Amino acid sequence: MQGALSIKNAGKIYDPGGSHVVALDGISLEIVAGEFCVIVGPSGCGKTTLLNAIAGFDQLTAGEIWLDGELMASPGKRLKPGPDRMVVFQHGALFPWKKVLWNVTCGPLKQGRLTQAEANEKAREFLARVGLHGIEDQYPEALSGGQKRRVEIVRALMNDPKVLLLDEPFRALDALTKSVVQEHLLELFDFEPETIFFITHDLEEAIFLADRAVVMTTRPGTIKKIVDVDIPRPRDLKVLTSSRFLALKAELGAAIHEEAKMAFESGERELA
Amino acid sequence: MASEPTITKAEKQHGKTPAVIRLWRLARSPAFYQGLLGVAVFFLLWYVLVDLIGLWRFSGLPKLVGGIEEWLSPDPVFGVSIFTAEYYRHIVASLFRVFSAFFAATILGVAIGILMGWRRVFFGLTFPILEVLRPIPILAWIPLAIILLPGRELPIIGLTFLAAFFVTILNTLLGVQAIDKVYFRAAQSLGFTEWQTLWHVIVPGALPYIFVGLQIAMGACWFSLVAAEILSGSAGLGYKVWETYYYVQFPTMVSTMATLGFFGYISSALVRIAGHRLMRWRANVLAGV
Amino acid sequence: MSGAQSDVRGSAAAPAVRPGTLFARLRRWVKGFSALNILLGVISLGSIACIWEFAGPLGIPMVKEVPPPSEVLASARDLVVSTQYWKGWLLSFQRIGIGFAIAQLIGIPLGLAMAINRTSFNSIFPIVEILRPIPPVAWIPISIVFWPTREQSVVFIVFLGAFWIVLLNTIGGASNIDRVYKRAALSLGSNSWDLFWKIILPATLPSIVTGMAVGMGISWEMVVASEMIAGDTGLGYLLWQSFQNNALAQVIVLMFSIGFAGYFSSALIRTLGRFATPWRQLK
Repeated sequence: MQGALSIKNAGKIYDPGGSHVVALDGISLEIVAGEFCVIVGPSGCGKTTLLNAIAGFDQLTAGEIWLDGELMASPGKRLKPGPDRMVVFQHGALFPWKKVLWNVTCGPLKQGRLTQAEANEKAREFLARVGLHGIEDQYPEALSGGQKRRVEIVRALMNDPKVLLLDEPFRALDALTKSVVQEHLLELFDFEPETIFFITHDLEEAIFLADRAVVMTTRPGTIKKIVDVDIPRPRDLKVLTSSRFLALKAELGAAIHEEAKMAFESGERELA
Repeated sequence: MASEPTITKAEKQHGKTPAVIRLWRLARSPAFYQGLLGVAVFFLLWYVLVDLIGLWRFSGLPKLVGGIEEWLSPDPVFGVSIFTAEYYRHIVASLFRVFSAFFAATILGVAIGILMGWRRVFFGLTFPILEVLRPIPILAWIPLAIILLPGRELPIIGLTFLAAFFVTILNTLLGVQAIDKVYFRAAQSLGFTEWQTLWHVIVPGALPYIFVGLQIAMGACWFSLVAAEILSGSAGLGYKVWETYYYVQFPTMVSTMATLGFFGYISSALVRIAGHRLMRWRANVLAGV
Repeated sequence: MSGAQSDVRGSAAAPAVRPGTLFARLRRWVKGFSALNILLGVISLGSIACIWEFAGPLGIPMVKEVPPPSEVLASARDLVVSTQYWKGWLLSFQRIGIGFAIAQLIGIPLGLAMAINRTSFNSIFPIVEILRPIPPVAWIPISIVFWPTREQSVVFIVFLGAFWIVLLNTIGGASNIDRVYKRAALSLGSNSWDLFWKIILPATLPSIVTGMAVGMGISWEMVVASEMIAGDTGLGYLLWQSFQNNALAQVIVLMFSIGFAGYFSSALIRTLGRFATPWRQLK
């Protein structure tokens, strides 16, 4: 299986000559193919910066990113965004002027990997799996928040990415919708495991979804703690009240809360 | 506010309100009658101040009743009414100029505006000269237009074109720049080529601003057209307004001005409707307007 | 890709430069122009100037009819020392000032009233929409007939042009105030007077300023139009006169003069507007 992501000593400094903001410092992380890895930390800790570096929207000033044994990014090597590291964006990036079916199938069609008929069928299958039927002909504006997020996830998966990058995708959803969409995501993951790189500020979400949860410190962003979430799959909402879950939450909670307080006190705003 | 209207089945299905229902709701709203009252007051004031009393300088103005009579008369005193050929001659002359100028300006203006938003180098080359020329009032171009463009029609059309052209470029450019950057990132992640990004992100994304610009451009067209016709024309509504002043044919002045307003409004409305058609995805947004 | 500006990253942690200081703003404005843009600008303007200058000897069809830059500059030198030219400036500015000011004085209160009071909006808006499509230039004959002096008739046209813009922008701005602000004020116990002066008016200011800047541009179009058609002084009139006298280089100088005057007055309005709405400084 593809999608082994290796981050070696990644660093990012914004405006080195001027305000010299150290967003990332010496981040090293080995993500196994098919692993669901969640980065959790307070706002402004640099997790989005890390995701952008992997996606190719931003360049590292130090360190390297390897994918499946190939060097993708380093300070000297510019990484371009691409469908192999497809992103699901925080505030949603479904093209509002195209219908859902077009949004979802445009990736493979434009890359020439599927015919229109194949793409349509695959799209309908995926959409059905996340509980969306018959919405292909609608425009995104007509959908609810939860529906839009699911469509965007389907759009990403349609591209067969090696790594699926999710940038706090459920942040804007209310708690109830969020739990439904989280379950759908887990179902997709169970059906067809792939490497998922998920960032969030929500600790419960992190533990619920992850194979491994990584706590990041606030600026400069480093790795504070990594924990294996050994709760067996498939998981459902009952997991949230299991003793293992609560124990993990206690373990990580203290670490996160510390960082959150530091971020709060220094008035951090989000980067990027 | 008036009580909320009930939502019909048709609306729920298509997100559109049948025209009949809309008219019915309109007739039942106080807003409609208030508007009617406002318009009536205006015409009443006109009639009283000009036709009846002739207060102060108002006495010299074209009369309401006389103007309407002349407009609708089969045998008008000054030869222009809805029954005469001359009336339509002027209308066609003006409409032809406006629409040819508008279409040319739209095609060129949108193309250049999009190119400017898409390619940095093109922007760098074109923006300076645009910013130097744009502040010059359109009418100040009349001498150059008359000298450079042959004949009588071309200078007028050229001037009208210029007015719409600058506005369209600017608004198109703003439209491209206003597109949320996240859509470009999504396109990159999806592996779009530059051309695909242009067709599927830039053009549709800029459309809202483009259409706002086109409506403004249409207004600018009529403005320059009238001025250009006054200064150098021999036919057309603008020219006619001046002629009625010059030859003291005041009743006709009223009908000509009203006709100008009418076609100005219709042309802007046409642009707006075209915009609604092309941007159906905004149906939800527009329904609230 | 396109002309994307670089984000000011990490600005949260950077020491805050007081955004209002003139020097800081000037520095940011200059930084906005990348070296590439400057180079391209010089290339483009430079080549256009060269082609224009040598259009005659090169035999370029239309452009050679136009007096080359050298002639234009010579004419500019002459004009700059003539009192008539500067009197033209003064008179045109005067007309714009008065017409524009009256348009704001009537338009802003009317717009606010229409936005606040639904009945006034419903009664007045239809007649506005009927009259607005008639180009102000078409009103010139009526203006001449009605107003006793020529000056007044020119000012009226300027007024008309600016009036529609300021009215629409004010109504738009005041209508779009987020209900949340009004509710917050009412919860805090403000009365109608306070609500108007402290919430509605300031929240509408940005739209009013935009309306003013656009209206200023329109005012220049109107003043030029009326001076050319029906005036006997002012920059527009001078331009038309120069044309009648076949002094084409002068025409071009006046074109750019008026353009510059319009640009300058709009920029002035926008700058003053920024002072009036300091909360919009931060990105």
